[in-house]
Amino acid sequence: MFNLLRMDLYRIKRSPSVYICLAILLSLSALCCWLVWLMETPDGRQTALKMGMFELEELAELEAEGNALADMDLLEMFRDVGMDGGFYCSILGIVVALFVCMDFQSGYIKNIMAAHRNRWTYVVSKVLTAGFVNFLYLLISFGFCLLMNFLSHLVPFTSWNNILFYLAWAWLISTAFTSLIIAICIFTRSAALGILGTILFGSGIIVTFLSYLTNLFHLGQWADYTLYFNMTYGPSVCTGIGDLKVFAIGLVFMALYTAAASIALTRQDI
Amino acid sequence: MSQKEPPRNYAVETMALTKEYTKKAVVNHLELKVQEGAIYGFIGRNGAGKSTTLKMLCGLAKPTSGEIRLYGRPVNDPYAARRIGCLIESAGLYPNMTARQNMIMKAKCLGLTNHSTAGHHSSAEQGLEDTVDKILSLTGLSGSESKKARFFSMGMKQRLGIALALLGNPDLLILDEPINGLDPEGIREIRQLIQKLNEEGKTLIISSHILGELSKIATHYGIIKDGILIEQISRESLEQKCKSYFQIEVDDINRALPLITEHASGIRTEVYDTRTLRLYDLTDGAWLNQLLVEHHIQVYSSGFHHMDLEEYFLERMDGKTT
Repeated sequence: MFNLLRMDLYRIKRSPSVYICLAILLSLSALCCWLVWLMETPDGRQTALKMGMFELEELAELEAEGNALADMDLLEMFRDVGMDGGFYCSILGIVVALFVCMDFQSGYIKNIMAAHRNRWTYVVSKVLTAGFVNFLYLLISFGFCLLMNFLSHLVPFTSWNNILFYLAWAWLISTAFTSLIIAICIFTRSAALGILGTILFGSGIIVTFLSYLTNLFHLGQWADYTLYFNMTYGPSVCTGIGDLKVFAIGLVFMALYTAAASIALTRQDI
Repeated sequence: MSQKEPPRNYAVETMALTKEYTKKAVVNHLELKVQEGAIYGFIGRNGAGKSTTLKMLCGLAKPTSGEIRLYGRPVNDPYAARRIGCLIESAGLYPNMTARQNMIMKAKCLGLTNHSTAGHHSSAEQGLEDTVDKILSLTGLSGSESKKARFFSMGMKQRLGIALALLGNPDLLILDEPINGLDPEGIREIRQLIQKLNEEGKTLIISSHILGELSKIATHYGIIKDGILIEQISRESLEQKCKSYFQIEVDDINRALPLITEHASGIRTEVYDTRTLRLYDLTDGAWLNQLLVEHHIQVYSSGFHHMDLEEYFLERMDGKTT
């Protein structure tokens, strides 16, 4: 398995999609920070006024409403900018879908599977590689948000304990999400369907829709245990043992999807 | 120790190997036996089950029933897997990576390191990069190592596919249509490469539709038809079966055959069909024609023939036996 991991890490370093998706993620984070700065800071509002984005009346209304960032800290801003809406998971899922499906589209999977008869190792290697990319993406995204905040002085800093707590479970949940995408790609062997699955599951369209339907019958509690809901509404602060539920959910789903992908790959011919 | 071993060691042995897709057997109770050190030509029409068989040997497809043994071990044994290099159908290559990067990827996949890549034919100090360079050079790709695979021609992709199969110094090479898309010079180079690898002791299973080319190198043949292995034959046996013969077409074979056997002792005769006779080990046919005519047997045609692999194969495909 570690040989496969070595191979995957060698390839991921040379995959343009990894860098393109990271650039998109950071660009949109920068755009969000800039818009927040324009809307919510006195200097930003003056700049927006000069640019013609507001009229004086609108500016007065905004100032009367107060500062939306007043009760926000760095971690909340980081979550609002990219994480909670599912944008981060969608981008990460696209990277993983392209990475996994390339094995099938190029036919290189034949070279791999001829050498590795235990197909579980292939799936676990892909999940570990996705986890590695996820780790780097999270660190870089957070570091970038930190830099943006440092430059624009939007919100106060959060304690490192909260940041580490959040990044740890966010990594686990988003890695579990990538194992879902790996399973979809192995089932379908299609990059297009993998990306479609990423968008539908990553943005929460399917979970939200199903949750809405089941809520009509007061059966919507299941949604609290989904990856999307946990990613969006998971705790920023660890206040008790109940807040550790996100870790359990991430681990269970990661194991479940990894097992599903492995079984599917074992039963399929290459 | 060698006394306990069977007289013939098989690199590949299948027992009642069967593969079904939607209840239809595409490979049916295959009893393939490939001796170590052989170049095994695997022949069959399109859809006969060649690629499916080779995929099962490589662990890419799961048999519905039956057993595969590679060097005496089950097909899923990791040690057996390490002794195989394969090129099945088209070469699987990452299009955005160079030839060298594709090779390094496979080397990493196999767990080769800078000190473990050297095979038992090379010096132990040889590094991974050197091994990759050596194999690229061996397959005629040393000038194209930095070119991305998507810019490769079909023939170059096949060469790179063979190069990938050679990584890890496998004892058994399974090549499915390795000369597809190659120009005549490329075919000659690959033929020479295959012969060289065989001389080094490697066993090769090659499936190809270019039978003339296959007959130049194969030491054994397996003919598959509709998923059933209809014949396994060595080159010597094939040459024996394909040797020159005198074919004569007459109006009354029941009279012609005893007449010929009476006058030509030591000649092997074979009734090909109701009007045709084949005579082996005959050097001159003129006297035979004269003999038949003198006995009022009409001769419609006669002449010497030599059957090649292609003719033999087509004959077997038509269900005729020799």
